[in-house]
Amino acid sequence: MADFYQNDLIITLHRLGNPGLERIESELREFSRQRPVALVLPALVTEFQNEAIKGIIAELKKVRYINEIILTLGRASDKEFSYVREFLSQLPCEVRIIHNEGKRVKEIYATLERNNVWAGEDGKGRSAWIAYGYILANAQSEVIALHDCDIVTYNREMLARLCYPVANPNIDVVFCKGFYSRITDKMHGRVTRLLIAPLIRAMQKLVGPNPFLMFMDSFRYPLAGEFAMITDMARTNRIPWDWGLEVGVLSEVFRNYSPRRVCQVDIADNYEHKHQLLSADDAKKGLMRMSVDICKSIFRFLAAEGIVLSDSFFKSLQVAYIRLAEDTMVKYEADAAINGLKFDRHAEASAIEAFSNAIKIASEAYSENPMAAPLIPNWNRVTSAIPGILDMLKKAVDEDNR
Amino acid sequence: MDNFMELLLHSLRAFGITILQFVPNLLAMLIIFIAGYLFSRLIKLLFLRVFRIINFDSWCDKAGLTAIIRKGDIWSKPSDVFGGLIYWFLIILFLVIGLSALRLQTIDNLISQFFLYIPRAFSALVILIAGYIFAGFISRAVLITAVNSGYHYAKILAEAVRLLLIVLILAMALEQLRIAPGIVIAAFSIVFGGIILALAIAFGVGGIDAAKRIINGGEGRPVSPESKDKKKNNEKERDAEYF
Repeated sequence: MADFYQNDLIITLHRLGNPGLERIESELREFSRQRPVALVLPALVTEFQNEAIKGIIAELKKVRYINEIILTLGRASDKEFSYVREFLSQLPCEVRIIHNEGKRVKEIYATLERNNVWAGEDGKGRSAWIAYGYILANAQSEVIALHDCDIVTYNREMLARLCYPVANPNIDVVFCKGFYSRITDKMHGRVTRLLIAPLIRAMQKLVGPNPFLMFMDSFRYPLAGEFAMITDMARTNRIPWDWGLEVGVLSEVFRNYSPRRVCQVDIADNYEHKHQLLSADDAKKGLMRMSVDICKSIFRFLAAEGIVLSDSFFKSLQVAYIRLAEDTMVKYEADAAINGLKFDRHAEASAIEAFSNAIKIASEAYSENPMAAPLIPNWNRVTSAIPGILDMLKKAVDEDNR
Repeated sequence: MDNFMELLLHSLRAFGITILQFVPNLLAMLIIFIAGYLFSRLIKLLFLRVFRIINFDSWCDKAGLTAIIRKGDIWSKPSDVFGGLIYWFLIILFLVIGLSALRLQTIDNLISQFFLYIPRAFSALVILIAGYIFAGFISRAVLITAVNSGYHYAKILAEAVRLLLIVLILAMALEQLRIAPGIVIAAFSIVFGGIILALAIAFGVGGIDAAKRIINGGEGRPVSPESKDKKKNNEKERDAEYF
């Protein structure tokens, strides 16, 4: 990124000059003595057939400041779990794999369920949540960093830059989100470019200046899956188990912490991972499902902030969104032109129409049941309901990894 | 020759009579085994149903019993574990009753010893369960009190109290089971006495000044900044009155 602009609310950490990976890593090794870092990797077993994970592990082998790595593995049989264990044994630090389909961890979920603690459906949200629980139970790390396992362009500088603001005791930051551009021969990141940004701004037009909307608008890539946070946050923040995960996490950060202690950091010049289909005709699949869940998450949080969301509000919102999204599309077209990138205007306009439909579906779902929040309770509440649950979780994971 | 045949037939007749006397006992034992097995299964199902109705699993989760079971790497539901215990207890009971139907002197002696041991095993189990809950309760109370009093080592203190109580409870349970009672009592006295002695020495060494102050009735007590200010103000007031 070429600029060094700071917005009003949160801290933005740019890539300026030549920051030097060796220097950052050496400082991180020092910081990690005071604030040990845990890395959470949510992964499906199918991802271990891809090249991306091999690249990630090859890079992580060179990292020396990570205290523990918690890989939370989904949809794996016992045999596949053993394969993953073997595969990760090359890492130099302590590695724990949470076998979400194993009998022990399944029994943990059953224990939660019979005590009316709904841990949500299987997915990235629940996987991350259970990993946070293990880190709290283990009590050996002060900082948690999380990134996906499908990053094709991964290098260890991403992780270092992500961890640095939270691990550095001289920077008073509790939460740090990564940002980057996503380009190949064209621009990607349609949901961020054409849904989130115009939607937030359309809402600001309708409700006026609102701290939450301003906070959300401050993020350059609010849907980035990479973030770092202090471990205490894992105790107090709730996590959505649906596709509204990233927006839900930001909402909880906004609710529980001052925006002055939140930052975003430029972690990569470019970022590439698996792409999802738009599925414009089916709101239960692909980007459409993600868009509906994100919209619902934003609506619910705004309502919780005291904003009245009526039918007329939603009608105006849809109109305002389309206008703003079209204006945004024109800006991106110019951006693509100057950078020599392909730009399919029809595909972008079709995406806007689909997202507009997603807003409509989400508003109908919200109006029907405004209370249906897909949030997993925070660990403070869980330990209050079941005092020994963290010990049980630690035992389950440790036994699985024995 | 007639005598020899008589002897042979007599032995065979005696063996036949013994077999005939033993077969009903054997049949009775088999019937008791089968009836016992069916009864045990029925009782287990009944208990599982009752456990479900009274939310036993959830109660165990909250009381910390599930956590104890998990420490033994047992990952079944607490109701299944306790149901299984009841089932196996009944199976063993019927096995013993069945064996007693054989009317063999050696087995009868073993059985009477077994029945005499049951109350002891039961009371040891009760001591362990009640003791664990009690230790948890006391440890939590110590933790809350110590945290509210501003002690830095509240958690360590609470864990130490919990450990002491668990040692005491284990010794009580082992003594109840009559497992090497002499060694248990001696070991307990040494361990418990050692801990108390260590604490006493630690307090004695670390708390010489505090003890001195207590013995001197508060003389030499460190003066707080507030009381220093108060004293100064009183002196000022006295001086003002004098002048």
